[in-house]
Amino acid sequence: MSAGDETKAGDGPGEREEHLADLLAVVHRTAARLLAEAGTPPAGLTVRAGEVTVEMTWPDPVRAAAPGPDPSAAVGPAPGPVHAAPDGTGAEEGGEYIRAPTVGVFYRAPEPGAKSFVDEGDVVEPGRQLGIVEAMKLLIPVEAVTDGRIVEVLKADAAPVEYDEPLFAVRPSEAA
Amino acid sequence: MFEKVLIANRGEIGLRVARCCRDLGMRVVAVYSTEDRDSALVRMADEAVHIGPAPARHSYLNIPALIEAALCTGAQALHPGYGFASENPDLAEVCEDHGITFVGPSATVIDRLGDKVSARALMAEAGLPLLPGGVEPAAGLEEARALAAETGYPLIIKPVAGGGGRGMQVVRDPGELAAKYRQARGKAQALFGDNRVYLERYLASARHVEIQVLGDRLGNLVHLGERDCSVQRRNQKIIEESPAHGLPADVVRRMGEAALLGAKAAEYTGAGTFEFLVDDTGDFYFMEVNCRIQVEHPVTEVVTGVDLVREQFRVAAGLPLELSQSGVAPRGAAIECRVNAEDPARDFLPTPGPIEEFTAPAGPFVRVDTDCFPGHRISAAYDPLLAKVITWAPDRAQARERMRRALDEFHVSGPGVRTNIPFLRRVLDDPRFADGTHTTSLVADLTSQEPLG
Repeated sequence: MSAGDETKAGDGPGEREEHLADLLAVVHRTAARLLAEAGTPPAGLTVRAGEVTVEMTWPDPVRAAAPGPDPSAAVGPAPGPVHAAPDGTGAEEGGEYIRAPTVGVFYRAPEPGAKSFVDEGDVVEPGRQLGIVEAMKLLIPVEAVTDGRIVEVLKADAAPVEYDEPLFAVRPSEAA
Repeated sequence: MFEKVLIANRGEIGLRVARCCRDLGMRVVAVYSTEDRDSALVRMADEAVHIGPAPARHSYLNIPALIEAALCTGAQALHPGYGFASENPDLAEVCEDHGITFVGPSATVIDRLGDKVSARALMAEAGLPLLPGGVEPAAGLEEARALAAETGYPLIIKPVAGGGGRGMQVVRDPGELAAKYRQARGKAQALFGDNRVYLERYLASARHVEIQVLGDRLGNLVHLGERDCSVQRRNQKIIEESPAHGLPADVVRRMGEAALLGAKAAEYTGAGTFEFLVDDTGDFYFMEVNCRIQVEHPVTEVVTGVDLVREQFRVAAGLPLELSQSGVAPRGAAIECRVNAEDPARDFLPTPGPIEEFTAPAGPFVRVDTDCFPGHRISAAYDPLLAKVITWAPDRAQARERMRRALDEFHVSGPGVRTNIPFLRRVLDDPRFADGTHTTSLVADLTSQEPLG
């Protein structure tokens, strides 16, 4: 669905309800994604369906460690092709994400049928390869940056990913 | 026609292309950098793909990311807009390799015309008049001196791989040549990754007039008349208009014929622009070809009634041109003003920041191409173009009056945000612009006077 569908003049009441339901679903998914990617739980969250607004506020201007959505920004739905939003497990206190270095295709294993680089629950150290993102025949390794434990693998093998999309939720050792 | 198109651009041109896609019933894939995640284009698109961080080299210029985004979403065509990778032959070639239709000329044509030396050589061969200068790039200072002596002063040193008026150096006498030559080579390397430069006679007081051409893949070519882009600041266009006021009809006709000859020689397809300089005697000289849709394309659309982006898509889809040369009938006069986020009082310093109030002009025969809205943040990462205001009227005087009214209506405000609207008003009110006798030196004259703003 497109954000450009926000207001369609001439929609009947039934169509309008259905349209609003679609709209809310997109807003909900966007909110879930923002919450998951924010790193720090927000102090407030506003959802406005009419103008399709998601507003998140923090007591202090805290930002996620990795470049990502500005938590104070109002975000309209930007439906990506492949957004399966993380369920937020990794966003618990002290959790971090390992993100996609580029847009491309995510692979969990070095080759089809091979054992995954890592699984949920595995302990990792900086530099340990966790996966691959392929962009135009270029295989870009995805590596751990801190000591920690893989809490969740957020993308399926061979799934398309966007730049900066969370791939793994990691709990650093000191927070474990 | 295509079912789904990826727009490899942002800002007002991204939205302009997206609207055309909607008109043609095609689905829109937007790509966006972190900076543009809340843009009007992203909101309007059917799908949007985050391709990288704010710096263009990691996002809008990142060819692997653009191609991956097209492959992931199943886009069949890629429209490059203007700027960014729109004239990068590599993008056109890689699209072709991956079965994605590039909405523009072939990689070979872009490559040949993007290199100013090969473009000049090709056009000279096709019979287009060139300014005196070196068709071959100057190989060193000594060769540059010899060429300069042949060409005469003042002259201009231009980057071979350049475009958009960037990286040029005007040399007024032999004493300046060595320093300016070195500067030009350094700038060319920094801007375009290619330090080759060439020399050309400089016309201090000329008119910049360009011809819009369209070519299909069956060899049909038409031109859609001229645009006068003489109002420029540091080689950047500010106000454009069509027709070129006071330019004799036979000069325009010969320029159109020359552009078609050049397009035929280059085997050009899609929308392209042949740029010329016209001196005060009516002689014109070929400068360069732009292998893309241009910022100022709306003035041609308004006077001819032809949707140029639609034609780009039709040509890319292999369809024949729907119009013939005899069917091109420009009517009335159109003027475009580029409204930029910059402060004329501080040497046109860009003024990024949040837009709190944004009221664009409207009314009869006023078109505004913009992607701004209240709440939009003007990015420091990209060019400062906020909007293009285009007015049409049966004659130039009325179009100018309508533009003055439109600019009076235009209101943009936000912390730290300034626009060049006061300066645009000054240009419109200048007697030389008002009577259409201005040349490319007009803005330099105005900016050398009292403080602006």
